[in-house]
Amino acid sequence: MDEIKLTCIIDDDPIYLFAIKKLLEITNFSTNYIIFKNGLEAINEFKKLAEEDQPLPDVVLLDLNMPIMDGWQFLKQYKINKFNTGISIYITSSSIDKKDVSKAKKNKLVSGYISKPIKKEDLSTLKTSILKKKSS
Amino acid sequence: MLLNKNEVNDFLETLEKSLIIGSWSFDIEANTLSWSNVTKRIHEVSPSFVPDVTKGLNFYKEGLHRNRITELFNNAINKGESFDDEFIIVTAKGNEKWVRSVGFPKHKDGKCISVQGVFQDTTEKTLIAIQTALKEKQFRSIFQNSLTGMALVSLEGDWLEVNHALCNMLGYTDEEFFNISFKDLTHPKDKYIGDEEIPLMLAGKLDHFQAEKRFIHKKGKTVYCILSCTIVKNYNNKPLHFIFNISDITKIKLGKKKIKSLLDISSKQNERLLNFAHIVSHNLRSHVSNLEMLVQLKKEEVPKVVNDEYYPLFETAIGNLNETIINLNQVVINKINKSDLKSLNLFNSVEKAIGNLNALILADNVKVNISINKNIKVKALPAYLDSILNNLLTNAIKYKKQNIIPEINIKAIKDKKFIIVSVNDNGLGIDLKKNKHNLFGMYKVFHKHKNSRGLGLFITKIQLEAIGGKVEVESKIGKGSTFKIYLKNG
Repeated sequence: MDEIKLTCIIDDDPIYLFAIKKLLEITNFSTNYIIFKNGLEAINEFKKLAEEDQPLPDVVLLDLNMPIMDGWQFLKQYKINKFNTGISIYITSSSIDKKDVSKAKKNKLVSGYISKPIKKEDLSTLKTSILKKKSS
Repeated sequence: MLLNKNEVNDFLETLEKSLIIGSWSFDIEANTLSWSNVTKRIHEVSPSFVPDVTKGLNFYKEGLHRNRITELFNNAINKGESFDDEFIIVTAKGNEKWVRSVGFPKHKDGKCISVQGVFQDTTEKTLIAIQTALKEKQFRSIFQNSLTGMALVSLEGDWLEVNHALCNMLGYTDEEFFNISFKDLTHPKDKYIGDEEIPLMLAGKLDHFQAEKRFIHKKGKTVYCILSCTIVKNYNNKPLHFIFNISDITKIKLGKKKIKSLLDISSKQNERLLNFAHIVSHNLRSHVSNLEMLVQLKKEEVPKVVNDEYYPLFETAIGNLNETIINLNQVVINKINKSDLKSLNLFNSVEKAIGNLNALILADNVKVNISINKNIKVKALPAYLDSILNNLLTNAIKYKKQNIIPEINIKAIKDKKFIIVSVNDNGLGIDLKKNKHNLFGMYKVFHKHKNSRGLGLFITKIQLEAIGGKVEVESKIGKGSTFKIYLKNG
């Protein structure tokens, strides 16, 4: 497989969303993307997709600080609902707090930590490593 | 019951022995003195000893005692006066004894014909009395001159005696004390202290107790005390009264309160500082990263935008803002757990730091000499040690002197507690008289002045302190500087 079909972005910051959409387009990152404003919206949609036997996104770019359900709570719910563990979940946060970074590293669901601002090169590297993982 | 003469003598003899009371009599006309066996034994002479008046008087201790008995004995004979007094004698064996000597003159036809008397060994009793008097005197002196408050308190809780220290402590004269009960002087909230212990003490189940207790000064202020209460009993184990020892701990208490409130304030401030750091790290940074992304995207979409005279300025301003935020975040260093510290090879760390500065070193042709034992290990957080070494080496290069080859000497020595790493340069040097206080401070921290040492050394200092080390500096203008960092032995 040489393509990422669906990317899921979970973030509440409209400016970041504007920018990441642009970046996804510029880098030709994936065929499609869906956006959720917080963890809960994403979990609900994932549940629905699972019930309808629809495929879940291939990649999740997850922010940490969000209202209603934050990134950590999302990961907890993700585990409780036993969603596909083959999905690559990346934390995308502007936090440079070492605690957040090491906490993310310890979580088995998390594939990596990308510190904002996200650059074009970050997405290209990411795409390569995801596709490599998929084909192996 | 009638007793014959022998029996009477035996009886008297038994009585004498048990009480150590001897008898004597002096016949004036015959000028003979006779002593009973017990009297002889008290004098420690043999039963065959024949006393006379001179010999008898000479047993009395020379001086006061002998003069007194001589006077009393003469008065008995000449004036018919009886006597009863206590004296010291020196026995035949040279022992000093306290004795009670009693004499009764006997008259016939208005004339004294004999003196009879008893002679009692009172040494033991007297010595006990003397010791008791001494103890009483010692207790008095301790009681009156003690720096802690002391009082004798009746079993009913009335003051029997109070000392100066207690009067001073509570502001009452001793006369005033006797009109107020112990409970009256107690802080209302502490009235029940001792209610459990006192009955136990009265019942003989407890001898002593201590408690913290507040009293009320005459002027109304609270006096914080430690009370130590002991019960005094007589020889029959009957409780007589209490002895209270009262120490004023008001100053300590108030000091503790002050320390606690200061601690509260500073931990709240610390909490706020951490909150501030959190806000900087999360919220502020997310705005800046958005700006950075937007600026990059704009350039991507419209490459011509860089020709706009505003655009590069936006880019630089945003870049600076981001750097400032990263610096700000470093200033608030999270608490480090001992378990985070790792044992690091100092030589390797220094080599690595030099490697990272290779470009600078080559550009300025800097000579670097390292003299560090390759086995030395230090305890540190890897990121901090890298940052500390990087800061010191960068400074040493940055503040080089023109026209001479910059030289940096890095040495490490071991002392009892620390590994001391010194970084010495032949650069500009620092006027320590002027700058000592600012050198490691947050002075000029956020000014991007070319010569600012501000943030680098400030961070070096707090990073070192966070890992249990410290930093010192020696410097002379025009000669160079030596920074010494103390690291924990790994």
